[in-house]
Amino acid sequence: MALTLTCPVCGKRNGYEFRYGGEDKGPRPAEEGLTPTAWCDYVHMNKCTMGVQKEWWCHRDGCGVWFTTWRDTTRNIEVEQPEANE
Amino acid sequence: MFWKTKPLWGNQPRLKSSYDVVIIGGGLHALATAYFLARDHGITDVAIIEKRFIGFGAAGRNTAIVRANQRTQYNVPLYKDALDLWPVLTKELDFNLMFNNCGNLNLMHSEAAMKAARMTIATAQFHGVESHLIDAKEAKELVPALNISEDITFPIHGAMFHPPGGIVRHDAVVWGLAKGCAKHGVHIHQQTEATAIHTEGGKVTGVTTSRGRIHARQVLVSAGGYSAGLIHQMLGIKLPISVLTIQAMVTQPLKPILDHVVSSGAYHCYANQTLKGEIATGAHMDQWPNYTTQNTAHYIKHQAESLSDWLPCLRGVKFMRIWGGLADMTPDMAPIMDGNDPIDGFYMDCGWGYFGFKSCSAVGKYMAQYMASGHCPEILKPFNLRRYENHQLMGETAALVSYTPDN
Repeated sequence: MALTLTCPVCGKRNGYEFRYGGEDKGPRPAEEGLTPTAWCDYVHMNKCTMGVQKEWWCHRDGCGVWFTTWRDTTRNIEVEQPEANE
Repeated sequence: MFWKTKPLWGNQPRLKSSYDVVIIGGGLHALATAYFLARDHGITDVAIIEKRFIGFGAAGRNTAIVRANQRTQYNVPLYKDALDLWPVLTKELDFNLMFNNCGNLNLMHSEAAMKAARMTIATAQFHGVESHLIDAKEAKELVPALNISEDITFPIHGAMFHPPGGIVRHDAVVWGLAKGCAKHGVHIHQQTEATAIHTEGGKVTGVTTSRGRIHARQVLVSAGGYSAGLIHQMLGIKLPISVLTIQAMVTQPLKPILDHVVSSGAYHCYANQTLKGEIATGAHMDQWPNYTTQNTAHYIKHQAESLSDWLPCLRGVKFMRIWGGLADMTPDMAPIMDGNDPIDGFYMDCGWGYFGFKSCSAVGKYMAQYMASGHCPEILKPFNLRRYENHQLMGETAALVSYTPDN
């Protein structure tokens, strides 16, 4: 099943135009007092959610914008933002 | 009559309320670990908890290739051990695992790739594993169907030839190990889903399954591509893993043309001929994590194009069957095997990407040793989870391709 994603600039496009940027892990941790564990957590660690997760994408072969969206990893389709999350 | 036969591993046993060891996942790593726990350490009170059926996941969805020509000094001995175990297990399990010791040929398409191959070969030779660098003409002698002309997308400069590798019948390994486990009294619970791992005071106490609660002092998660998601869901432990669908396919059966496993990093394609005559080929992974195991036209096209470029005699041959499985990729392309950290009695064996099949026998042996003694065997020590925060990544990727979304 081919993935389509909604670019905030260009609209709904073929998933192969995009580059996956990882799970949304929140803001980059502050450099002051940063421990190796916290940095490693931000850089490498994933939840590997089997279901809906918020994630980063870049419209690589289009306008080049970075954006977040929601995707169901078990069905590989973009979904509406779940209500439980703000 | 076929409806009167029962599985080699017996019928579904009664689920006891307590086991010494519970293993979540019913794939090759799980079966091998249970087998060696029983064989080498006399630990037979073991339950394998499998959500679907044994061999459902990567154990039944790989391309059956085995080899010990990895890049780093940490990986090579482990895979060498695994290679040495196939003939031993075939005898011991009294089950033909169909080890076809046909050798592997890794094609190199640039001077940079030849240099990477030289380093990899030096590592192999240091560890006593047979591996040689050959030129394009010698590669053509080994595989006459090979196109070594200059007018293809990536002309062949040479190859890394690794005779001890080959193919093992992956389903036979599942059935053989399951038979061996059952013979030693290990309980294999299929259609049983693990829903929670219980801990108390930093120690594992048991597992909840869809068929009831089990007490256990030791729990191993070796559920292939599902491990990382399960470990986070059940214990809140995050892992440096991205789970990607990987695709493979076979052509219609052909007369024998390919005596070796041949692979190419530049084309991102490998091929071998099965005993039935099909050309099994694959390599491509989705570029984003997903658990679908679905195939896409995108990769069927790529596979057909690249395969028929360096094996031109395959032009016009039809793909007969396609399938997908899950590869749990780590940033350094090496697995994570760890235990008793941060939870006593909790072990994990994951992050195998697409290397899980070729390693299963040796990993089972060493994970069993780890769990029986509580001490990590030397050979597994470099594969601990903390290597990521200690910044001691493995460097298993020689060069060539970007596999995970993270690198």
